[in-house]
Amino acid sequence: MPVDDAVLIRRMTEGDEQALAAFYDRWNSLVHAVVLRILRQRDIVEDVVEEVFWQAWRQANRYVASRGSVQTWLLTIARSRALDRARATKRLREEPLEVESADALVQLAENDASMDAEFAERRVIVVAALADLPPEQREALELGYYSGLSQSEIAERTGQPLGTIKTRMRLAMQKLKGRLQILREDAR
Amino acid sequence: MTTTMAHETARDSLEALALDALDADERIAVLAHVSGCPICQQEMVSLQATTAQLTYGVQPVPMPAGQRDRIRARLLGRVVAERTHPAEVHPSASSVILVPNPGTAKHASRHWLESPASWIAMAASLVAVVSLATLYQVTAERDSIKRTYQYVPSQVDSLRAALGDRDRMIANLLGPQVAVVTLTSDGVRAPSARMFWDQSVNQWTFVAHNLPAPKTGRTYQLWLVTAKDKISAGTFSPDPRGDAVVRATYVLPKGALAAVAVTEEPAAGSAQPTTTPVILGTSASR
Repeated sequence: MPVDDAVLIRRMTEGDEQALAAFYDRWNSLVHAVVLRILRQRDIVEDVVEEVFWQAWRQANRYVASRGSVQTWLLTIARSRALDRARATKRLREEPLEVESADALVQLAENDASMDAEFAERRVIVVAALADLPPEQREALELGYYSGLSQSEIAERTGQPLGTIKTRMRLAMQKLKGRLQILREDAR
Repeated sequence: MTTTMAHETARDSLEALALDALDADERIAVLAHVSGCPICQQEMVSLQATTAQLTYGVQPVPMPAGQRDRIRARLLGRVVAERTHPAEVHPSASSVILVPNPGTAKHASRHWLESPASWIAMAASLVAVVSLATLYQVTAERDSIKRTYQYVPSQVDSLRAALGDRDRMIANLLGPQVAVVTLTSDGVRAPSARMFWDQSVNQWTFVAHNLPAPKTGRTYQLWLVTAKDKISAGTFSPDPRGDAVVRATYVLPKGALAAVAVTEEPAAGSAQPTTTPVILGTSASR
């Protein structure tokens, strides 16, 4: 039987640590993925993942269902905490992501097979929307969103004029806004 | 701060604002416009909903089993440790939101900058008092947790986490970019408090003493007061001695803080203050 996130959140607000454990078991690989995507360094990922779930535990009573899904809420926390850490330590995403071990890839496949259907559906839509962006727009958006770079930093990184980066980012977001509208309505 | 940014200019920057990709100065100027522009506010809601979905574009990556289990054990250990040694803060007050950090805003208090002698003297005494108090607190907490969990290896991790948290707190109190707001009251028990704003990481640490227990069914709520808003920084209840510590993360533009206040509110907290402040401090940087 699938775990009901809303029930877990309610139990967490009541101080039920078993709900926290279940919540962690359910979402740790996704939170880990977001944090690793931003920080790209395994040695500092562990602390941040822990802090994400600790914040979720302590702020479970602030989750408002009408504002979006539990997944979105949690993953937004994960991104914020990862960017905080990246900016605080100035260890910004220069290194390539480590190659997964064979065991990890097997586990990944198993995880994907059991992945929450709603998440899988959302992921398909988001990945497709990103793939449809012109490469230069996708690059600007990903450097801003996933790497936490400012527009001027992106301009410096890519060697493009700042105005060009601003335009690319704006166009990318407008296209995504239309493509992802369905997810926003689903979340309500 | 630029408050006269044209609507068209601000509008063209909303996408970058939603992605948290604006440079600090531009971000402040755009935020200033958005705060008074219903059209931009509505667009921002839509754009932020879009950006929230982008995390789904990340490929799930499982953690190595050992790492996964370690974090799990530490989380549960922290829950148990918190129960055994209740924090001064109600769980809901540990931190506020989580607007992305604008970067390296440096909001040193003008008052302090203009009075270097006062700054040095106050900083020295503050360092001494806070260091001693914190050292005592950390030491007592460490010893107590050690006694309780010396035979439970998994929960030693909770001690490490608690000490790490205290280390961060010390840094937030003593860092070079910390502004201090002192709150006072005319109450019989003379409550007092200080707010330490570590502007390098937007970390707020509120320390209060002699606060009377709130009435039954009520709680205290901490507010960051700006010219336009009263921003909740969480609810809390003092311990039996009347002491409380609230920590929060919140991004506030340079010079925006007018005051810090504590009011008594219903147990669930309020969207805006509904009572006269129990304790109030004005920011010296205004």
